[in-house]
Amino acid sequence: MAPQSLQQILLSPAELSYLHTSLSSNPPIRPDGRTATQFRPLIAESDILPGTNGSARICFADGTEAVVGVKAEVERSSGISRDVDGEGEGEEGVKKGRNEWVEISVDIPGERDDDSNPIFLAAVLSEALLADGEFVERLWINRHFHWRLYLDVLLLSPPLSYPLPLLSLTTHLALLTTRLPKLLSEKDEDPLFSDDWDASEPLYHPPHTSHPPITLLVMAVQETIIFDPSKEELAVADAVLAVSLSESPTSNSSSQDTEMEMDVEGGKKRNLRLLAVRTIDPPSRLTHKGLANKVNTATGGTAQKNLEDGGGDGEEGVWCPPRGGAKRGLIKEMIGRVLERGGVGEEVLDGLCGAEL
Amino acid sequence: MAITILAPAPAEPIYREVDPSEDSDNGGADLEGDHEMRPTKRAKHSTFSIVTPGEVVTDDAQWMRGHGTYIQPGSTEIIATVAGTIQKTNKLLSVRPLRARYTPEIGDLVVGRIMEVQSKRWRVDVGAPNLADLPLAAINLPGGILRKRTETDELEIRTFFSEGDLLVAEVQSLRQDGSASLHTRSLKYGKLRNGVFMSVTGTGGGGGVVRARRQVWTIDTMHGGGKVDVILGVNGYIWISKHIEVAGGETAITRMEESISATVYSSQNEYIGPETRTEISRIKGVITLLVEQGFRVDEDMVMKGYEAAVTVDDEDLGETNVYLGGAKGKKVVDLLSEK
Repeated sequence: MAPQSLQQILLSPAELSYLHTSLSSNPPIRPDGRTATQFRPLIAESDILPGTNGSARICFADGTEAVVGVKAEVERSSGISRDVDGEGEGEEGVKKGRNEWVEISVDIPGERDDDSNPIFLAAVLSEALLADGEFVERLWINRHFHWRLYLDVLLLSPPLSYPLPLLSLTTHLALLTTRLPKLLSEKDEDPLFSDDWDASEPLYHPPHTSHPPITLLVMAVQETIIFDPSKEELAVADAVLAVSLSESPTSNSSSQDTEMEMDVEGGKKRNLRLLAVRTIDPPSRLTHKGLANKVNTATGGTAQKNLEDGGGDGEEGVWCPPRGGAKRGLIKEMIGRVLERGGVGEEVLDGLCGAEL
Repeated sequence: MAITILAPAPAEPIYREVDPSEDSDNGGADLEGDHEMRPTKRAKHSTFSIVTPGEVVTDDAQWMRGHGTYIQPGSTEIIATVAGTIQKTNKLLSVRPLRARYTPEIGDLVVGRIMEVQSKRWRVDVGAPNLADLPLAAINLPGGILRKRTETDELEIRTFFSEGDLLVAEVQSLRQDGSASLHTRSLKYGKLRNGVFMSVTGTGGGGGVVRARRQVWTIDTMHGGGKVDVILGVNGYIWISKHIEVAGGETAITRMEESISATVYSSQNEYIGPETRTEISRIKGVITLLVEQGFRVDEDMVMKGYEAAVTVDDEDLGETNVYLGGAKGKKVVDLLSEK
């Protein structure tokens, strides 16, 4: 089971009810006035740490801030297992990557390294990164050596809201700027690299390779689907999903939807791919139910006799924590909203592309 | 565009040198101090007047030490104990912290959240270093007439306030350690509902809620939002809610308690229309903007900010969007600075 990773914030039943009703109305009225798909502006910069292969920093509008540094190291591949598992071993040009070559560590102030929360976040991040299996292939140098990648994800501020999207976006920017030195040696020689940093090769080269993945947080209140939820909004969520997606390299093979391609302005078309979906326990389930006036002795009502009669359930303006799981259709719709053409996933990727300068 | 990504801007100097001619909104007190005196004492920091804990502010014996400073025995050096700006009042030298928790003072109107329920009192978070106390004896008991509290009330203490509930109260007394004791013995005070809560910096440093003549007022909102109440707690906790008319307006003054007390401990919201909710969001956005820009938050500024926000939003034909981030927020700030 996923750990209780969302922070419980204490809100009164009247506040919860207000937020819930506001968010579930159509169009939703968010407490800060954003539209359902609008993100808070964020401040980003990349290549900030000179000692790393790639790095980035992102500041969210709520004051949370994260720094990611990527370090690469040459490591001798353990030959035995390679000999055992490879039949294609003898062939030239067969690149095989392994998931252990990427190590992600998440550091959150005030939490120990072995707490469930950082481990869960690191798992979600690496899950998205390794999902296509194509990324680790790029770390392959030759049959005896490979790159080992250390991703150090540092949250600088206390986790005011659920930090997953922040960490994911920062990791995305850091990976985009990651460069590895150019290889001079050939084939199975011991690797020799060029000293010239300008000649180094980027790890990701977007038009040709895929994009690094991003993970977005999507929440639903009744039928309303909301992106980039704030702390208060998460407190009344019925369902919260962490959706990881990335973009496949633009290939000519998808020529069957050339007509659709024409519709998108500028001929720009993004080929989004869903990598992973995680559900996150919304904290709203742990809240107490609000008391309706008619069962509240302090407002002249009579106390509820037994629990069965419901006591003002479904009365307007009374907070009632969500029960049961999210509907299948709703989950499908939430994922669809991220991936659809012209949807949020594309816009976020567009924004991130514009950001790296 | 769903997302805006900005490049980091160089940090703006928070405290600019104030020209002696231009009187800023510090209520007449000259925060930056005497310009002609500083070069002799703190020559190297003459352009940037933030001191950090442990920094020697002055070694001149003519100054008296005020809040945020101390003097080591046997020396005349005044040393700062907090990070902040130097404030000089005649010969009293104090350091005004950049950020500080709220220090309760008797008579302050505060908004608080119940953190603990004990047998005869509640413990309330008011943003101060310690939790404040709200004794059961200091609330209006339901049932109209002022009556003595009974054992039944003690047993039913959670029906009045339980954990997480918000309330507006007044600081009644202070204890030795600076923690406050609250009371809600007035029709103005009590449990909060029908709105949203937000927390900004309180009286302390920088922008935030300042003590003012009126902390509670009603805004007649535009766009059919109706009346909206704003409660600015001195501690920086703010409540924005729909204004509820007292039922049966013509109630005799003696019976007012009775009619109000029926719903005073309710946690059920009234019907609040979408227009009202939108305007509440807008007011919340305005206050957030004021705090971000380092403006003070009081009735005057909130009203000006609200009008500016409505004007800016009306200029944009088409969809109304009350979100005050990015370009729109900037326009509102420009409008505000003009005035």
